[in-house]
Amino acid sequence: MVEIAIVSRRAEFGRVTSLVEQLGVQHRLPREVITDVCIALDEILTNITDYAYTDDAEYEIHIRFEVLDNVLEAVIEDSGAPFNPLAIPAPDVGAPLHERRVGGVGIHFVRNLMDEVVYDRVGDRNRLVLRKRFKT
Amino acid sequence: MDLHEEEVSGVTVVEVKGRIDSTTAPALGERLTANLGAPKVRVVLDLSRLEYISSAGFRILLLAAKRADETGSRLVLCGVAGKVRQLFDLGGFLDLFTIVGSRDEGIAALA
Repeated sequence: MVEIAIVSRRAEFGRVTSLVEQLGVQHRLPREVITDVCIALDEILTNITDYAYTDDAEYEIHIRFEVLDNVLEAVIEDSGAPFNPLAIPAPDVGAPLHERRVGGVGIHFVRNLMDEVVYDRVGDRNRLVLRKRFKT
Repeated sequence: MDLHEEEVSGVTVVEVKGRIDSTTAPALGERLTANLGAPKVRVVLDLSRLEYISSAGFRILLLAAKRADETGSRLVLCGVAGKVRQLFDLGGFLDLFTIVGSRDEGIAALA
C-alpha cells in the first residue's frame, strides 16, 4: 500500500501519475492498466480541483494505492462538496461539433476505463474507489 | 508532452509526443490557437506518438476544430491509433474531426 497527499492544484497531478508509473514498474503492470488509471485519475482530480470547492484555497486530496490479487485499486478522498460521479448521466456522444460539450466525458471515461467505481460519502468527505483488473 | 512543428508544402505539421492531460493541455491549446489564428491556415496534427489523451485534451481539440471552422482554416488529424483511437471512439469524437491515416495523407489532403 502506498499513499500520497496533494493539494487541489493541477501542478500537483504529475506527482500522482509518477507514482502510478512507479507502481507499474514495481508490480510489472501492463501498460494499458497504467494508462487507464492515469487517465481516470486526471479526470477525477480535475473535477475535485475545479468543482469541489467554492473558494480558491488549497485543499488536500488524499490518494491511496493498493495492488491486490490482479487488481490495481486507487482510493481518492477529498473534503469538498458531495459529488457522486456515478450519478452523472452519460454525455450525448452523437451531437455535432458546434453542439458538442466535453462536460461529462471525463466521468464517462472513468466509468468505461475502470472495472469498478465505488462512491461513498463518509462524514464530510468524498471517497471514490477505482479498480482496474489485470492479468499477470 | 513535447510539441514538434514543421512546415511541409505550405502545411503546418504539429506532432504531439507523450500525454495530453489537464496539466499539458493548456500548452497544446496555446499552440493550436496561435497556429489557427490566421485565416486559411492548414494544420495537420500528428498524434501517432501520443500516449494518451484525457477529456481536458479533447476540450482543446474541440475548441481548435471550432476555431478552424470560424477562421476558414483547416485542421486534419492523423496517427489516431491504438489507445488514442479507443479514447476518441469512447468519447464519440471520431466523427467530429477530419482524420486520415498518415501524416503524408494529411499533407496531401491539405496541400
